[in-house]
Amino acid sequence: MHRILYLIQKEFRQILRQRAYLGLIFIMPFLQIVVLGFAITTDVKNVPITIVDEDHSAMSRRLVDAFSVTQSFDFQGLSQSSNQAKEVMKRGLVKLILHIPPDFEKDLKNNVHPKVQAIVDGVDGNTAGIALAYVNQIAVKLQQEWYSEMGLHPEELLEVHLTEVETRMAYNAALESVNNIVPGILAVLLMAVTAFLTGMSIVREKEIGTLEQLMVTPIQNIELVLGKVVPMLVVAFLLFNVGMLGAGLIFGLWMKGNLFSLYLMLVFFCLSTLGLGIFASTIAKTQQQAMFIAWFFMVFAILLSGFFVPIENMPDFIQMITYLNPVRYFMVVIREIYLKGTEIQFLWKEGLAMLVFGLVTFISASLRFHKRLN
Amino acid sequence: MTNSGYTVHVENLTRMFGTFKAVDNVSFQVKPGEIFGFLGANGAGKTTTIRMLCGLLLPTSGKAIVAGYDVYKDTEAIKRHIGYMAQRFSLYEDLTVRENIEFYGGVYGLNRKQIKTKTAELLDYLKLWEHADKLTASLPLGWKQRMALSTALLHNPDLIFLDEPTSGVDPESRRNFWMLIYELSEQGKTIFVTTHFMDEAEYCHRLSIMRDGKIVELDKPQSLKQKYKADTMQDVFMKVVQKVEA
Repeated sequence: MHRILYLIQKEFRQILRQRAYLGLIFIMPFLQIVVLGFAITTDVKNVPITIVDEDHSAMSRRLVDAFSVTQSFDFQGLSQSSNQAKEVMKRGLVKLILHIPPDFEKDLKNNVHPKVQAIVDGVDGNTAGIALAYVNQIAVKLQQEWYSEMGLHPEELLEVHLTEVETRMAYNAALESVNNIVPGILAVLLMAVTAFLTGMSIVREKEIGTLEQLMVTPIQNIELVLGKVVPMLVVAFLLFNVGMLGAGLIFGLWMKGNLFSLYLMLVFFCLSTLGLGIFASTIAKTQQQAMFIAWFFMVFAILLSGFFVPIENMPDFIQMITYLNPVRYFMVVIREIYLKGTEIQFLWKEGLAMLVFGLVTFISASLRFHKRLN
Repeated sequence: MTNSGYTVHVENLTRMFGTFKAVDNVSFQVKPGEIFGFLGANGAGKTTTIRMLCGLLLPTSGKAIVAGYDVYKDTEAIKRHIGYMAQRFSLYEDLTVRENIEFYGGVYGLNRKQIKTKTAELLDYLKLWEHADKLTASLPLGWKQRMALSTALLHNPDLIFLDEPTSGVDPESRRNFWMLIYELSEQGKTIFVTTHFMDEAEYCHRLSIMRDGKIVELDKPQSLKQKYKADTMQDVFMKVVQKVEA
């Protein structure tokens, strides 16, 4: 077994001799977190809005005021009629029209829920959905204020309050998306480094001919595989920590949970990504091929992980497929531990799933990797 | 372990790639201490044969016993007993000379102390002390080749396979390399070497000429020259090839 130590030593020497690797470990996580953390945001700000007020009451004016002060919307002034508003939207000047019906105040006072109509430009579906949620949120908040002014019973108030909290949970304002994106980026970085670099580093030895030389030595398969995998895991681990540090320094987003739980989950997760790298190296003849194979799987794994698109929004059969995706579980685990400080015993299902997938991928890939040239 | 008195014993060895017969029913024996040459053009089947004998490639049919071990079952035992150097470069260019020696020593199962002794021995022998801590990439090709051979012999094997070891090297370096081969032979090691250089073929104790996966001649260089009434191996090779084509 002491052969492994020589393999690992050699691998580290090569890594330290390549500046690109050091940049990869220390600069890439910082850059990705900064750029993507700011760029990939699901928060909606400054949606241009116009309002058609047919009521012209004190109440309707309060509603208009509420929309004009919030950062979420950029109030473009009142429109005289529904048709005028639609014309403005057609020209692309606003993305949202709020239509306050006549008798708005009267209905409200009589406790008849008045219907405020919101018309949203659906070309950008994501923004549209979120903007509508904000509309609801603002309306509900106003509603609550009115009810309390009108002196409602405490029980009824509680109900109203609850409705509002639910809306907020789903579409919190402020920096919510950074919180979600940053742990996601860490997961993606881990995957990229372990899958790509493992695959490429094995295939590189194929290309230069040293792998053939190693194959005629008494070294064992498992030693060769571990000799490649262990250094990459160390690199990934360093990179992950640098990334966490970056998230803390830049966004003030420090990990809330237990660090060792997270490390353990990281190892479980990396078993499958390292396995993917080895698998790619058994098929590929050149580094480009290895990269392409790893890339092919990674795109699916990331898009079906819940990183960008919530899994609940996917068609049922795609949702079933996501259960086969280790990244899906790690996305849950890292967000839970990172943001909520969830204890590991509540995450054992995800952990077990990753471990099983990891072992299966890793072992079957290692078995494909053998000391013959065929 | 099978003992036939031969270091390499091959009978009717065949290797197919799809429908293509890369090695076609080849038989020969190599005696202990011999320098046994495989001469042939590119694609004649030399490399495929050598790879089967080293356990890198499984034969399609036929029998081959290498250093007493079967190439079907005992490939790992074979790998402990042979040295192998391919035409493709086998050292890590981004490691220093010393690090390369240390690495291959470790892979061949030497301990720290043995590695240290071996490193000193090799650096002495190859006169590489000055370059010990330089990157291997900075050495001239001829030196790299001799160093590659030396690192492939760190575990002191009795049988050495060399697959076109001197391709791409200048004549001077080739001569130096062959001096190294002779020294090894004098130490009692068996050497199995493929080449497409005719002058190198003269250096072998016995020589087989391969064409289209078949062995078409096998004898001492001197005997082959007499048989074909030729002065050089170049002539012999041309006549053998013409005979086969006719």
